[in-house]
Amino acid sequence: MAKIGVFDLSVRYGKLTALSDLSFTMPEGERLFISGPNGAGKSSLLGAISGAVRAAHGRIEMDGEILSGLGPEQIARRGLSMVPEGRRIFASLSVRENLMVGTGLRRDESAVADDLEAVFTAFPILRERANAPAGALSGGQQQMLAISRALMTNPKVMMVDEPSLGLAPKVVDEVYDRLCELQKLRGLTLVIVEQSSARAARVGGRMLLMRGGRIVADGDAAEFAAGDLLTEAYFGDPA
Amino acid sequence: MSIQLLFDALALGGIYAIAALGIALIFGVMKLVNFAHGQFIACAVFALIIPSTDAVAVMGLGRLPALILIPAVLAVGALLALAAEALVFRPLRNASPVALMVGSFALGVALQNLLLVLYGGRPKAVSLWADLGAPIALGPAQVPLLQLIVIVAVGAILLALALMLKHTRIGLEMRAAAEDFGMARLLGVRANRVISGAFALSGALAAVVALVLVAQTGVADVRMGGQIMLVAFIATVVGGMGSLAGAVAAGLALGAASALLQAGLPPEARPFRDAFLYALVIFVLLFRPQGLFASAGAKPRV
Ligand SMILES: Nc1ncnc2c1ncn2[C@@H]1O[C@H](COP(=O)(O)OP(=O)(O)OP(=O)(O)O)[C@@H](O)[C@H]1O
Ligand SMILES: [Mg+2]
Repeated sequence: MAKIGVFDLSVRYGKLTALSDLSFTMPEGERLFISGPNGAGKSSLLGAISGAVRAAHGRIEMDGEILSGLGPEQIARRGLSMVPEGRRIFASLSVRENLMVGTGLRRDESAVADDLEAVFTAFPILRERANAPAGALSGGQQQMLAISRALMTNPKVMMVDEPSLGLAPKVVDEVYDRLCELQKLRGLTLVIVEQSSARAARVGGRMLLMRGGRIVADGDAAEFAAGDLLTEAYFGDPA
Repeated sequence: MSIQLLFDALALGGIYAIAALGIALIFGVMKLVNFAHGQFIACAVFALIIPSTDAVAVMGLGRLPALILIPAVLAVGALLALAAEALVFRPLRNASPVALMVGSFALGVALQNLLLVLYGGRPKAVSLWADLGAPIALGPAQVPLLQLIVIVAVGAILLALALMLKHTRIGLEMRAAAEDFGMARLLGVRANRVISGAFALSGALAAVVALVLVAQTGVADVRMGGQIMLVAFIATVVGGMGSLAGAVAAGLALGAASALLQAGLPPEARPFRDAFLYALVIFVLLFRPQGLFASAGAKPRV
C-alpha cells in the first residue's frame, strides 16, 4: 500500500486552474522532490494534501485512508505535517513556544520532552535562543525552527515547501543535511519542493517535475540534472 | 492629582479595558470585529432581572448571593457568546470579513430587539449590591467601596488572563492562532476549540462589564451596551486591532482621559466631554494610524 496516494487532484482559484487531474503515489520512507517553474502548482499540491487548500475534485490518501475533505488540523493529527512556503514562524512567540504549538495533538507526553531534547541537540542554536522571540532569529535559524516545529507533531509524513528560499547556499547545505539525517533517524516519508534540480540531484531521491498544474516528468533526481528532461519540461509543449 | 481622581480614572479605565479585551480577543483569532459585544453586555445585565415590561425591575438571578450570582452571570455571558459563535459566526467562518462584520451587526440588532420584547424599552432601576456604594476613607479622600472592588477585580482578571495566555495549552494555541491561524491548524491546533475558547472568554468578560455597570449606575437599559461598545471599539482601534496589551492600555488611557476631562473641563464644557475625548483619539490615530501597539498578525510577513 502506498504511503501517499494522489488521484485526479484538481485545484482551482476562481477561474484559474492551479492543478489539473494530477496523480502520483509514493511508498513509505521515500524522499520525493517536487520541482518546476514558478506558478507550476507545487505549493498548491502541498496545500491540497495538507488540507490548507481545498481541492476542486480528486482523492488524497494516506495509508489507504482518505484525507480529502478533512481540515488541516485533522490531517496533522493523522501524522502528516507541512512546513509551508515562507516558513510562517510565530514571530511573537518564543522559540520554545513555537516548538510546543504542534504538540497538543500528541498523547505521549514523555515522548514530547524527549523530542524537544532531540531537537535542541540537533539544533543547539534553538536551545540557546529558546526563550527569545522567534522573530529575532535569522532566516536560516527560522527554517530550522519551522522544520523542528513540524517534527514536534511526531509526523509520519513531512512536506517542506522550498526550504532553500532566501538562504545562503551554505545554510541550504546544512538544512538539507539535517533533513536527511532526520528522515533516516525517524523513517520519515519526505516531500520537498525544490526549484533547483541540481540541488535535488545532489541530495538524491525521486523527482516530480511540474508545469502548468500537471506532472510532466517523474524519475530519479540525478537523471533530471543531466538536462534533457528538464529542458523539455520548462520549454516544451505542456502535455 | 487627587486620590479621588486617580481612583475614578482607574475604575473607569479598568472597565473600558475589560470591554475592549472582549473585542480584541475575538478579533485576534477570527479577524472579526464583533459589534454584538455591547449586546452581550446588555443581555448579561438583563439576565439579572425577571422578564417583564413593567417599569420596576424584579430581580431574578440578581437576588442570589454574590458567590453564586457572579459565576452564574459569567456563565450566562459565556454561553451566550458560545451560542452566537455556533449559530451565527461558524456558518460564516469562510465568508469575507465584511460579511462577518455585517453578521455581528445583525446579531446585535436581533439581541437588542429580543431584550425590547422581553423587557420593554424603558430603563429600569436595579439595585445590585447597593451597600457597596458607601464611601470609605482612604487618607484624605473618600472612595466608594465598589470602586476599590472594581479596581482590584480588574487587576485580578487581567493578571489571570495574562497567566492563562502565557502558561496554558489553550492560551498558547490562542496566541499562535492570533498570529497565523492557518499555520496553527497545520500544526494540529483545532480551530473550533480556539474560537470557542475565545468566544467563551469574551462573553465572560462582557458579563463582568455588565455586573460593574449595573452596580455602579443602578440602571438596566437596553441601550447601555451600545455606549460601552463604542468606547471599547475605539480602545481596540487605538490599541492596535488584535493586540490584547494594546486594548488594555488604550482602555485604561481612555478611562483616565475621560475622568481627567470630567474633572478638568470647565462645567459648561462638561456635556461635551466625549467630543474632547474623541478629538484626542483622532489626534492619536493621525500620528499612529496602525494604533499604539501594532498586532503581530497585522505585521507584514517576510
Ligand atoms: N491563493 C491564491 N489565489 C489565487 N491564485 C493563486 C493562489 N495561490 C496560487 N495561485 C495561483 O496558482 C498557480 C499555482 O501557484 P502555486 O503557488 O501553487 O505555484 P508554485 O509552483 O508553488 O509557484 P512558486 O514557485 O512561485 O512558489 C499560480 O498561477 C498562482 O498565481
Ligand atoms: Mg510555491
